[in-house]
Amino acid sequence: MNVMDKLASSEELVSPGISACVGCNVELSLRTVLRVLGPDTILAIPPGCMGGVGVVGWDKKSGCKIPVFFPLLDNTASMLAGIKLHYERVGRPVNVVAFAGDGATVDAGFQCLSGAAERGDRIIYICYDNEGYMNTGYQRSGSTTKGAWTSTTPVSGGGRGGKKQHKKDFPMIMAMHDIPYMATANPAFIPDMVKKVEKAMKVSEGLAYIHIYNPCITGWGIKAEESIETARIAVESNFAPLYEMENGRFRINRKPKNPVPVREFLKKCKKFSHLSEEEIAELQRITDEKWNRLKGLCAL
Amino acid sequence: MPKIEVMNGNKAAAVGAALSRPGIIAAYPITPQTPLVEYLTQFCADGIIDSTMSEVESELSAMSVLTGASLAGSRTFTATSSQGLSLMYEPYFRASTLRLPVVMAIANREMISPQTLWGGPQDALTVRDAGWLQIYVEDNQEILDMMIQAFRIAEDKRVLLPINICYDGFYLSHMAEKVVIPDQEEVDAFLPPYRPEHILLDPEKPMAVDPLTNGYLLTEYRYKHMQAQQNALTVIEEIDREFAERFGRSHGGLVEAYRCDDCDAIMVTMGSMTGAAREAVDAARDDGKKIGLLKIRTVRPFPKNKVFELLKGVKAFGVVDRNVSFGWNTGIVYQEIRASLYQNNTVIPSVPFVGGLGGEDLTMEHFLVAIDGIYHAAASGDYEPATQWLNKEV
Repeated sequence: MNVMDKLASSEELVSPGISACVGCNVELSLRTVLRVLGPDTILAIPPGCMGGVGVVGWDKKSGCKIPVFFPLLDNTASMLAGIKLHYERVGRPVNVVAFAGDGATVDAGFQCLSGAAERGDRIIYICYDNEGYMNTGYQRSGSTTKGAWTSTTPVSGGGRGGKKQHKKDFPMIMAMHDIPYMATANPAFIPDMVKKVEKAMKVSEGLAYIHIYNPCITGWGIKAEESIETARIAVESNFAPLYEMENGRFRINRKPKNPVPVREFLKKCKKFSHLSEEEIAELQRITDEKWNRLKGLCAL
Repeated sequence: MPKIEVMNGNKAAAVGAALSRPGIIAAYPITPQTPLVEYLTQFCADGIIDSTMSEVESELSAMSVLTGASLAGSRTFTATSSQGLSLMYEPYFRASTLRLPVVMAIANREMISPQTLWGGPQDALTVRDAGWLQIYVEDNQEILDMMIQAFRIAEDKRVLLPINICYDGFYLSHMAEKVVIPDQEEVDAFLPPYRPEHILLDPEKPMAVDPLTNGYLLTEYRYKHMQAQQNALTVIEEIDREFAERFGRSHGGLVEAYRCDDCDAIMVTMGSMTGAAREAVDAARDDGKKIGLLKIRTVRPFPKNKVFELLKGVKAFGVVDRNVSFGWNTGIVYQEIRASLYQNNTVIPSVPFVGGLGGEDLTMEHFLVAIDGIYHAAASGDYEPATQWLNKEV
């Protein structure tokens, strides 16, 4: 069965009525991921977009057909570790999964996630990286790209400003924890995402981490109809490459023959519209450098 | 047959916790609680207990792992002190509002600054309004016994709240004394396994835990949580009596009244200081003073009616606090006692004492000074005396 048939025949586990923005590719990612994980799953949705749009629920209504809860912003991985330890004690195979934004992952939740990775807690941690605190109106996070406008890295009338620092290379940070499985994913490459979730489900000796790059329509200023296209260019420009690390071996999953310039990705997003030629060149330089480093890791 | 062993308070806590068969333990070491964590990891390594131990990277994760484990249905245990308790405040508050019967020992330690690591209940008293039950104990036997009782109290369907068993750092945590260790079978008969029905994360019974909740529903949560705290007043005493019947030891339930039947004034204490205070009361009695001693055991729920009944007829009382309440210029227990007396127009002269901060000794001499102060207040009718500092040089 091909991936699309498999997805079509699997059960939809998120309520149809959640209130994500038009064109939101995080909602698409979540629905895809849960179709693969299936009903024997316990899901943590820390505060962030997917919590805000109602995936956990409102009052007495649940947003999911599986057990779902809000962890705190900073303790997702630890709460999941406790749940998994219980199910291991009673001998029941249950997927214990986080679907967390970048703020809850690379910033506030990093300590708990790093601890769980080091201890080898057998959870699946999925980060949807939309580069900021989008649910509270787009403030900067440690995962926001250098130069980007956010509500806390404003740009002056003269076009100066934006974030001064580049984003944490978080997939690499997780890979360097020597976890059994780490992968990046992207909503423009659904078959690749499905394969990676399936691999994460097979990991039995430690934490599996998947980092999904999710350009945000509302926060970044992207046309809703270009949601998937923008995500695709992030891969085709090597800005957010698709790769994985399995038991220490790195592999690039998509090598663009003729990478498009990073400029093509940046110009899809209003948050980069003020960037000077020098700043665009700097992001191209960072992209090339990281790509070369990744290729080097794959050659090892 | 029960065994007798000389052990420090941390070991008493570890043995009590072990006898209670927790499914999952998560703890992070901090002075003066550290040996407790080491005992438990050793028990696990030696196969003495069948618990799963999570060696977490911080107290934030200790409470978070247990929150998850308890939500999934395990019995859970942890322990901490001072800064560790502060670090876990966010999941600490939430363990109670999720109604999870987590048991946590606190080897009470003073809060910084200045840098300090000696005993005192400032850590736990500061978070008394976070919804947990808090019981403060006096000696190592009580530590062990209360660990076992704590699970019964917390898991009682009328309560379903997390609980702290608090004991003074170093004074109890590192001091060795004789402790009776009950038989495992007797503990098993007293403490059945935990079977959650009120909240559970299980794919076979999908449940959304903590959807975004409006104020009208949250109010219902708070109302029931407050009721559970009040129910605990009964449950704690019931379980103390049942424990006494099975194991031959009662620790007094909510409060312990010593020589209060014929007293005309009362000194109030809490925790390990009470031993010296009892000696001082005996000495003052020999001196002709009709002083009694009231030891507070439960701070949450606060036994306000018991306190009122004991204090309403006395000429004066004083409270010795090993902690402070900034902004009130007294200790915390003093305020709780004062608030309990605001019934039936009761106005009694009283003295707030603060002493033993940062682990300073509170000796018999300090309590004799306090007793004199209480009788001075009785004679002068002073209703609003300034706090008397027992260890202050100037």
